[in-house]
Formats: sequence, C-alpha cells, structure tokens
Amino acid sequence: MIKLENVTKTYKGNVTALHAANADIAKGEFVFLVGPSGSGKSTFIRLLNREEMPDEGRIFVAGKDIGQLSSWKVPYLRRNIGCIFQDFKLLPRKTVAENVAFALEVIGRPKHVIHKQVPAILELVGLASKIDRFPDQLSGGEQQRVSIARAFVNRPLILLADEPTGNLDPATSVGIMRLLDRINRTGTTVVMATHDRGIVDTMRRRVIELDRGSIVRDQARGVYE
Amino acid sequence: MSLKLGYLLRETFSNLWRNVSLTIAAVITVLVSLSMFGAALMVGDGVDNATERWEGGIEFVVWLNPDIDAAQDSAIEETLLELQNRNQIDRFDYVDQEATYQEFLELFADSPETLEAVEPANMPPSYRVVPTDPDAEVISELASQFRERAGVRDVVLATEVIKEVQRTADRISQTTLIFSVVLVIAAVLLILNTIIMAISARRREIEVMKLVGATNWFIRLPFMFEGLIFGLIGAGLSIPAMIFIRSYLIEPISDTDALALLQGFEVSNNELMNIIYVNLGLGIIVAVVGSAVAVSRHLDV
Repeated sequence: MIKLENVTKTYKGNVTALHAANADIAKGEFVFLVGPSGSGKSTFIRLLNREEMPDEGRIFVAGKDIGQLSSWKVPYLRRNIGCIFQDFKLLPRKTVAENVAFALEVIGRPKHVIHKQVPAILELVGLASKIDRFPDQLSGGEQQRVSIARAFVNRPLILLADEPTGNLDPATSVGIMRLLDRINRTGTTVVMATHDRGIVDTMRRRVIELDRGSIVRDQARGVYE
Repeated sequence: MSLKLGYLLRETFSNLWRNVSLTIAAVITVLVSLSMFGAALMVGDGVDNATERWEGGIEFVVWLNPDIDAAQDSAIEETLLELQNRNQIDRFDYVDQEATYQEFLELFADSPETLEAVEPANMPPSYRVVPTDPDAEVISELASQFRERAGVRDVVLATEVIKEVQRTADRISQTTLIFSVVLVIAAVLLILNTIIMAISARRREIEVMKLVGATNWFIRLPFMFEGLIFGLIGAGLSIPAMIFIRSYLIEPISDTDALALLQGFEVSNNELMNIIYVNLGLGIIVAVVGSAVAVSRHLDV
C-alpha cells in the first residue's frame, strides 16, 4: 500500500528531515511512527500525503509513484488518504455535521449521499447525539472524533494520524485509539506518528522508529523503545 | 451538479457579504473607471460625428465690411457665381446684417453690455460658401482669393474651426482616457486585494479542502467568481451611467446654438450599445485579471 525507496528530504538551511528512508507498509497494517521531536515523523506523514515532495527517492502509494503525479491529480490521491492532527483542524463556524459534510461537499458528492453518510459516520464515532454542536461546545476527545469522522467518511484506503492524542488526556486517548483500531479492522491502513509510550506499548503493533531523519528500527508488534 | 452550483453561489455571496465595504469599494471603482472610459469613447464618437457631418459641406466664410458698397459686393458675388458655374463651389449663402445680428444676439445672450454696444449696422454681412471639393488645400486656395478683395474684412476657414474642435475634443477624450486607465488599474488592484482578504479569511477552510482532496478549481472558483461579480456589477451599473452621460453631457453640446459645428456632436444608439459592450468586456477583463492574480499568487494549491 505504501512504499518508500531511499527517500531523502532536506529543508532549507540543510536541515535533513528524512535520510535514505526505506519502508514497506502492506494494506491493512497499523504502523506507529515514533521518535523524538524533529526526528522526521511529521515529514514522513506529509510526504505520503504529497504535502511535501522528496528530494531523492521514490514514494509509492496504492501502487502509484506519487512523485510522478501531476499536480492536478494530487486531490484525487488525497481522496484516498484521510488525515487527522493534534489540533483537529475543525471549522469553528460549522457544526459537527457540517464539518463532516464539508469534506464530502467539496469533492462533489451528491446531496443524498451526504445526507446518508454523515449521520452514519457520526454514529460510528459515537457522536450521533451531538451533530448540531459547534466544535467549541465539545471536549477535546469529541473534537478528535469529529475529525476522525471527517477523515474517514470518504472511506479512504489510508488514514494518516499526526500525534492524534497529543492534546488529549490518557483516558480520552484510549477511546480515540479504540476508534482508530476499529477503523483499521475495516481494512484501512493506519500510519500514526506519536509520542505516547503507553499507547504504543499497549497496542503492540508495528513500530518504525526515527532518529534525526533515519529509520533506526522497524519492528513488528513492537514497543515504544 | 446543482449542488456544486449551489455551493459556488453560497460561497461567493458569503464572501461578498463578509467583506461588504470592500465589495462596495471595488464595485464603485469598476463603475467609475468604466464610466470615464465610456465617456472618453463618447466624446470621440461625438466629435467624429460632428466633423463628419461637416465634411459634406465644409464652409468658409467671407466676412464683408459693414460699410461695403454695392459695387464691391456684387463683384464678389459675381466671382462666387463664376466659381459655382465652374463647379468649384456647390452653393453659397448670403447672410445679411440683420441675420448676423440675430446670431450675435444668441451668441452673446449672456452679456447684455456687449449687446448694448452693437446694432445691426455694425454687423458684417457674409457669404457662407460650400465648396465642391472637400480637400482642405483646395478650399484654402479658393478662400484665399477673396482675402485681398476690396470690401472684404476677413476670410475664415471652417476647417480651422473643425480642427480646433477636434483638437479640443481629442484633448478632453485623451485626458479622460488616461484617468480612466489609472482608475482601471486601481480597480484591478482593489479586486485583487479584496480577494486576497477573502482568501485569508478562509485559510482554514482552504486547508481542510486541500486535505480532503478538493480539486484546485473547486477551491479557486468561488474566489474567481467573486471577482467576476465585481466586474459584472460595476459594468452593469455603468450602463445607466453611460445613458446619463449621453443625455446630460453629450446631448446639451449638440443642442447648443453657439457653434453650428457642434450640432452634429451626437452619439447614436448604436454607438452607445457598442460602448456598453466594450465596457462589459473591459469589466470582465478587469475582474478576471484581478482575481486570477490573487488566486494564483495566494492560493498555491
């Protein structure tokens, strides 16, 4: 599903964010990206979404070399990739339902599809009773559920999560991880960058550890360190 | 598809409403710049029409001394008749002292003290001549042979008047055109900035749209559309402005009795329509340029 071949990414000022990284992630895998701040986890995620382009090496997503993708095709790549973030990136003026519907609306899904899928996905993430709330009326965990609903409503092949529990307390984080696990069980490949030792150690999934831009460990059913 | 159109309209008008003061400023600038541009074109059309009408009968006027004696007068008339027989002159009219006085009365209606100083006996009678050949050189040669004749006070070529009117009208038209171009540039910049404001007000939405895979055009289009609306509303409002300028500025010039030349200073309905089309086109161009620059510089999708 995801393949990195000798991928190097250097930012301005010769900051090497990723150096000669190789990885092969199969369909339906759940992968944790761990490592200290600045080790290249976010760059890894941003490269998969083609928010960044590699300086060297090739990246394949769903069999396609995304470095070769012309820019007008990038939106179609992203429709197959859901993204969630530490800061949720919800639209404050829109309700829960509108936030989720927005993701379908802007890729041109017809109204009747939106009317059917939005309540269904909000039911799945456990927010059926709060569809008319605004983000600032929700707890952090609930906001992250909305953002997961938005990322997953289009049934992407891949879910990228950049520190999704970074702003949440441990109990809430467990709930979010249960949700991501459920999504993973539907066959969705999940790549999650995290600092959360407890989560990694409890879940016992594949762990890719980065240190100063290099992959220093790639371990099935691994732990945080 | 209906959803997309609905989305487009909803987004566009919410942008317009959010920035309502800038929206009004942009529309007014487009309106004023296009109106000035149209006015410049109208003056151009007007003077073309005025001088065109003149071309059929370019005149020169032989002004006689008020105290000319009958022999001198008839000698001049004979020469004119001879020229008419030789087909060099199409026709000529004699304007006597009383008629000249009437013209004078109209011309100086606003200054009674000037009128008090004159009476019909002071007025120079004149021959107004329509030559056959409209060529300026031929006319000036024809006219010059009267200049040294006994009893002639002066010979005035209408072509000089025409040229003066054309020069003046050209200056008016060019000045207006320059100001209108400056305003058009201001309109483009204002549309550009209004759209940049709209884009930055929607940074979060745009970020989410990119993340979930909205196409570039889907993201750009509401902003382009917003610019287009500035252009179209401004150009649309310039239509009544054009009609107003024609009836308030152009028509009074042709109604004036002061200068016969200006009676042809008119803008026909067809010409008005053409100017309106040009304005609509220009409005759209202004809008597209402003919004395209804004979108391409500030919406790197």
